[in-house]
Amino acid sequence: MSASEPSDESLLARYRSGDGPAFEILYARHRQGLYRFLLGLSGKSELAEEVYQDTWLSLIRSTSQPQGRANFRTWLYQIARNRLIDHWRKHGIRNPLHDSYDEQVHALSDDSADPEQLLSLSRDTQRLETALHTLPADQREVFLLRAHGDLDLPQIATLTETPLETVKSRLRYAQQKLRRLLAEEVLT
Amino acid sequence: MTDARPAPEEEVVKHFREHASGEPPAHLDAFILSAAHRETATPKYSFWQRWVQACQKPRWQVAFASLVGVALMLALVQRTPEHAPTYDSTPAPNTSSFAARKESAEAPASLARSMAAPAGAKPAPAPAAPMADFSAPAQSESINAEMADEAKVSKKTAAAPSKFIDDQLREVIRLQKAGQTKAADDLMTTLHKRFPKENLATRLKELQKN
Repeated sequence: MSASEPSDESLLARYRSGDGPAFEILYARHRQGLYRFLLGLSGKSELAEEVYQDTWLSLIRSTSQPQGRANFRTWLYQIARNRLIDHWRKHGIRNPLHDSYDEQVHALSDDSADPEQLLSLSRDTQRLETALHTLPADQREVFLLRAHGDLDLPQIATLTETPLETVKSRLRYAQQKLRRLLAEEVLT
Repeated sequence: MTDARPAPEEEVVKHFREHASGEPPAHLDAFILSAAHRETATPKYSFWQRWVQACQKPRWQVAFASLVGVALMLALVQRTPEHAPTYDSTPAPNTSSFAARKESAEAPASLARSMAAPAGAKPAPAPAAPMADFSAPAQSESINAEMADEAKVSKKTAAAPSKFIDDQLREVIRLQKAGQTKAADDLMTTLHKRFPKENLATRLKELQKN
């Protein structure tokens, strides 16, 4: 987003004051990232679509604004994340984001990764999805928020209510594992 | 010389951004955008702007007109005197009832008839004529005509009551002279009832002297 483009917050304020086209701009900016985040986190397109719709409708019908230090992007992804967790809770599904995970153990196998393999990561979308879903949920969430939400690490820490250092390590381990999995796929 | 290539970890992030798939279905886009348009807040206007806009809507026009109409009716009802005038109390300062005014209205007519009647030609009907007129108003006349005549006579009576009384007293004198004492007495009684404050006896004596 260039400096001349209106910020998300100003677009939301314009929409709240009756400017319909402002919402279209806002929606176009975030539709793909939010959908991919939900699809990657839930693993089911039907559920992703349901939560995606609920998230936007909630935003449309709400009169609230991002609070405190949260910007629009953080706020949007927070709504979506809460909706997904609500869905899991409502259907008796244990929240996978609450699983404790020993990141140190899962990071050991990645020590020998060859940096040259970065040049040959698989571009096959099916393989990307499969690799993504081999990640533990909390690592996957951090990676998706970084990749598709374009959030920085402090924002992810705030959104997930997780210490910043934990977020950093989750992201690092997720990236290492994905790189290894995709490279392996290419090499075989 | 620095390496422009991002760190290996960020390379994965970038790789995913570029090659990941997944788009919200078109129908979902359409649904959300239509919902957004539907829920678009109306622009905020001041109180008076909203009032003017509301008044421009037909249903508000009707409601507003009804309210004004009811208010006008209430105002009129509030201003109406408690004793609303009926036709029985049509302006006639010295009359108190329809019968009395009827008498006053008919009296000149009877006077005219009795004046026109040749003395002695019809001795019997002559004295009865005024009384008959008092007790039996002309039935062929409509109520409206009576009311119109009544109003005219009442106005005349109010304008010149003394002249009217004099005329009546002269009739009394004429009847007395004609020997129709009872008719004269009846007419006098009627005049006393109608003009209780007038000193009719004194006036009668003055007229008799003249």
